[in-house]
Amino acid sequence: MSLSNASRVSRSPLQNASHTKWYSVALVAPALAAIVFLFAVPLIRSVVTAFIDADGGWTLENISRAVEFYGRDVVFTIVIAVLSLAVIAAISIAIAGYLTLGSTPWAVAALRWLYRWPLFIPFIVAGQTARSFLARNGLMNSMLMEAGLLEPVAAQSFLDWRGLVMTFAWKQVPFVTLLLAGAMASLDRATIESARNLGANRLRCLFEIVLPQVRPTLFVGLILSLVTIMSVLSVPMMIIAGTPNMMTTMMAHRVTYYGDYAVANALGLFSYLLTALVAWFYLRSTLEKEAGK
Amino acid sequence: MQSTSLTLDNVTVRMGQNTILDSISLSVPQGSFTCLLGPSGCGKTTLLRAIAGFAPLESGDMAIDAVSIAALPPEKRQTAMVFQSYALWPHMSVAENLAYPLKLRGIDRASRARKVARILDLLDLAEFGARSVASLSGGQRQRIALGRALVIDPPILLLDEPLSNLDAAIRRNLRSELRQLQRQLGITTIMVTHDQEEALSMADTIVLMRSGKIAQVAAPEALYAAPVDIDAARFMGVENFITTDSGEMGVASDAACFGFRSMSASICLHPLAGHLNRKAVVIDSAYAGDSYQVLVKSDGELFSARSSTPQLAGAQVILCVPADALIPFGADKNCLIPTDYRTPGRTLS
Ligand SMILES: Nc1ncnc2c1ncn2[C@@H]1O[C@H](COP(=O)(O)OP(=O)(O)OP(=O)(O)O)[C@@H](O)[C@H]1O
Ligand SMILES: [Mg+2]
Repeated sequence: MSLSNASRVSRSPLQNASHTKWYSVALVAPALAAIVFLFAVPLIRSVVTAFIDADGGWTLENISRAVEFYGRDVVFTIVIAVLSLAVIAAISIAIAGYLTLGSTPWAVAALRWLYRWPLFIPFIVAGQTARSFLARNGLMNSMLMEAGLLEPVAAQSFLDWRGLVMTFAWKQVPFVTLLLAGAMASLDRATIESARNLGANRLRCLFEIVLPQVRPTLFVGLILSLVTIMSVLSVPMMIIAGTPNMMTTMMAHRVTYYGDYAVANALGLFSYLLTALVAWFYLRSTLEKEAGK
Repeated sequence: MQSTSLTLDNVTVRMGQNTILDSISLSVPQGSFTCLLGPSGCGKTTLLRAIAGFAPLESGDMAIDAVSIAALPPEKRQTAMVFQSYALWPHMSVAENLAYPLKLRGIDRASRARKVARILDLLDLAEFGARSVASLSGGQRQRIALGRALVIDPPILLLDEPLSNLDAAIRRNLRSELRQLQRQLGITTIMVTHDQEEALSMADTIVLMRSGKIAQVAAPEALYAAPVDIDAARFMGVENFITTDSGEMGVASDAACFGFRSMSASICLHPLAGHLNRKAVVIDSAYAGDSYQVLVKSDGELFSARSSTPQLAGAQVILCVPADALIPFGADKNCLIPTDYRTPGRTLS
């Protein structure tokens, strides 16, 4: 009796299978369509445009023109991105580490409350603020002079690569810290306590116990920051006048002044390649880790 | 191996509004094995964490070999703790887990490898060094956690229910292994457990705790035979309490009530000499392996006893408890057996 029961029960889902399949396709269709038409098609189009000349034939002309005109900017972009990511990583690790391992409750609470604010400030406002803060007679230099740390004659403008790195870091540190502190908070606290119990001070605990366990999260935060840095237009435009500058400004320049989508897309291709390369390294390392388990 | 004594002096720990530990004073002699025993939530883990430096003291002091450690951060205390969840580092292999405490002490690579190999041998896990800790069974992880604490030759070993996640057979095995290892190395050890059998079989001294306070400090035999009061007795498996009529049987005492364990009480047809005898009616009888667990009712109170034969419900019987199995309690619920019997008198071998 139980046997026939089981077979009767198991038949109905089988009969429904094709029905269910269409139903689920219908459910996912709007989202799928949005991805295809809003992301995939424009992406592929812009990549293809980079290889098409004025007459519609295939060419590498655009790529070589982009390298010739903007090679220095590509290198500048890479250097700025690497520097910014290094600064972001260092500061985020310091803040998240203190939030996790700090022993002064009020300091931890204050830091937890403070560090997120830049998240809610748009890039354009951040760029504007950085301009007035970092200029030769800006807020930073006046404060330093008032504190007697800087001679007025030695004052210089930070509105160059340094300002760019500082602004990117200021804007992205809270985001990476948010991810990192969340990951650290969900670690098994006993793994931290056992390390301290066996003789690790807080610094060693951070670098040898906590950080290795949250490394994937740090990578995700940095990759997302890289993508942001590669796509922000307002900050480099406001902070740096002239060249070299970030690829985004050069692309905007190419499009607005020359209407030259082909070279702009060739430059865009470099951005994709750069982020794709980093993402590939990340995916490979996570896959290796999965395989190792 | 240096081994050391630990003294706690009026240790009080508060978390928020709650007093978790209330004026705990305790002296743990060098090389001894002390068990912290008590019901869930009584503060055993907190006491261990306070000793390790993870629960700041509200007041009081604690000292290792008469040197105060109360103000030291955890990493300076030299107490090695084995956490209930093992807390192995998942990003390190077994051997790396064992070597890390040595690395923290600046020991060079070659001697690290030697010590790790020795500990792996000791733990019977010689071929497991390269394995990831995620691939170990519960018992193996427990042994690694223990080894990680032992590898630094700690003066004091703190164990938080190290055996509670294991099945009965492994637990029995590890219990004696752990005890042997402790004796062999002579490490002053404090172990938390809420399993009274475990505490009785392993400890030199048992500290019975109750809602943040110490209820009794005694050798296992003394704790078993003379729990300090009725609540302690209940925790130590004394299920039955019987009020006495003066002059009843040969047990002359000014006790207000007697406690006894069901396994020392028997069901008889006639009163026995030298026993406390009560007329009773059988309520229920259940097979309990080596004998029958019988529930009887006498004067409106329920008692449980053992019987070698099954008893029919409703049968008229006599509940017999030998006089020496009775634990007398006064009207204030305190045990009437003299206190000097209760203090830990056992010398360490
Ligand atoms: N961080 C905390 N904040 C407030 N109260 C806490 C905290 N940690 C523990 N407590 C309380 O302290 C009391 C003692 O906890 P503890 O973990 O020491 O109990 P325990 O004796 O180890 O219990 P168990 O046998 O269940 O492990 C409990 O009532 C618990 O609720
Ligand atoms: Mg506990």
